[in-house]
Amino acid sequence: MSRAPHAISIRGALMACAGLVATPAFSGNWELSLDLRAVSSDGRDSFLDNGQGKLRFDDDDDGLRLGRLRAAWNQPLGETFSAHIEASTWDDKDKNPIDLTEAWLEWRPYPRAGWRTRVRLGAFYPPMSLESRAIGWESPYTITPTTISSWIGEEIRTIGLEAQVDWLGTRLGHDFDFQLTGAVFGWNDPAGTMLAMHGFALHDRQTTLFGRVGELQTNLELAKKELFHEIDGRPGFYVGAQARYLDRAILNVLHYDNRADPAAPAPEIRDYAWETSFDAAALRIETANEWTFLVQALEGTTAIDPFMWLQWDFDSQSVLVAKRWGRHLVGAHYDEFAIDFQQDFLMPGGETGKAWALAYSYDTGEHWRVALEWLRVESDVPARTVFLGESAFATESKLELSVRYSLSGSF
Amino acid sequence: MGAFCAAAHAQVATLEVRVAQRDGQPLPGAVVTVERESAPLGPAPPLKAIMDQVNLAFAPDVLVIPVHSSVQFPNSDAVGHQVYSFSSARQFQLPLYRGKPYPPVQFDQPGVVTLGCNIHDNMLAYVIVTAAPFFGRTDAQGKWLAAEVPEGRYRVRVWHPLLNESREVEGVAEVGGGHATLELELSNSLRPAPLGTRPHSWDY
Repeated sequence: MSRAPHAISIRGALMACAGLVATPAFSGNWELSLDLRAVSSDGRDSFLDNGQGKLRFDDDDDGLRLGRLRAAWNQPLGETFSAHIEASTWDDKDKNPIDLTEAWLEWRPYPRAGWRTRVRLGAFYPPMSLESRAIGWESPYTITPTTISSWIGEEIRTIGLEAQVDWLGTRLGHDFDFQLTGAVFGWNDPAGTMLAMHGFALHDRQTTLFGRVGELQTNLELAKKELFHEIDGRPGFYVGAQARYLDRAILNVLHYDNRADPAAPAPEIRDYAWETSFDAAALRIETANEWTFLVQALEGTTAIDPFMWLQWDFDSQSVLVAKRWGRHLVGAHYDEFAIDFQQDFLMPGGETGKAWALAYSYDTGEHWRVALEWLRVESDVPARTVFLGESAFATESKLELSVRYSLSGSF
Repeated sequence: MGAFCAAAHAQVATLEVRVAQRDGQPLPGAVVTVERESAPLGPAPPLKAIMDQVNLAFAPDVLVIPVHSSVQFPNSDAVGHQVYSFSSARQFQLPLYRGKPYPPVQFDQPGVVTLGCNIHDNMLAYVIVTAAPFFGRTDAQGKWLAAEVPEGRYRVRVWHPLLNESREVEGVAEVGGGHATLELELSNSLRPAPLGTRPHSWDY
């Protein structure tokens, strides 16, 4: 963050001389970052290229790649409102060269007697990942987040209205804070399509609001992979709760249901409204000597009813451990995932798999971050044999170096 | 850690207070207030104090002031802060600001005032408003010294943001001529301290 204390103090003095009671602090903040990657991967054809591979970069992607070029803008609007916009480009085969991942308007009135309300309107992530806590909804622990966060980044976005109520117990002399969240949203009816098409994947490629998941699908029988559409006119909802012990431990639970009508077709994107609901829970503990422990679990179901009922049950669990020594951080996670296709007498579907990631990063704290990650995914996907003539079982691994340069400032 | 010098008195002495944690380690940064039980001396004269906001943190983390003092809350960061308290001793809020746009906040009631920022939830600090004539904070050795304390029987109270005691940490010191020492020890371990070391970019 660039800072001009001298200028600020002069400005403050001028304001005081002018007898102004309140100085609006309404100038906005911007962030810009360029993340370049050097990749060595033996992955199967990536899900981004309409394959059944689990990685963002497959064995055709070795070499220098664009990790992410990101621009964000945060703008206070008056005393209690603010706007936030996130734009990114990933230089792959998405529909738009640059697109938004999130854009919201927030109302955060002053807290009263230990209670605070927050309301967000726009497009954003539901509050369920205690992992994707860094700016741009990235994981600070590894380059590639866990299966659960990867899937949320790929298929889930709240496009609607969210309200949160906080009880700020720590400001009243207690050890705990509590939070309740509720949201009503639309434009996420295709959520679940990707679980059925290619299952879980491990990647940091967030799907953009007006884009699609990777390359255009040339098979006209298959969905266009555009996930943020309203199909049936029925709003979805989620409710969540969070308990925090000081700033050491956070427990987060969320129930999500997009309340889609599984028989509602969307021919323009060659898709249906997928009736998707899930429960997610996460617990993050941080210690004084910079250890982080994070456990996450996700369980849900998605279904469509084009001519008969087709249902996929899915779940994933992960354990993440990280340790920081000043600017150095080592992070690792282990993930398990499974999709159970209930009508597999019709066609192959579903999968099981597990993944390991180990990463080291060095953050200068100002502009540069360098990270190195090793990732390995084992998965058993019967559809690979039937549709692609590949072996169902695949072990994919990747070594990735990330160099990120960030700038920020205010205007 | 200024000990306030009370009215001149025939018999004055120094009072040293040592605060130890449960394991015997010294407790630095503890707020010590000292009040005479017989013939109370009245509060120290009010101060004009500053609670700054630097690098997304309040500075200092704990401010001790005599009752009727005023505190200025400048914001030295490039981003806006919105400071609030809903502690019973003083409730106030300063609308989103940068620099030093507001007049100082007056504190007329003794007590613990917990400060927060509505934009940055990790920002936490305390203003301790005291009616005691002598007050201060313990040093790295858990020690605090008051000079020129008139003789008498004094009630010594200790406060720290991380105290985890079921009752008030206090003691009685008899101050006559010379040097009086009071040692206080906590019964329980401290609560975990705020981490405060995480990069700001982790609070998306």
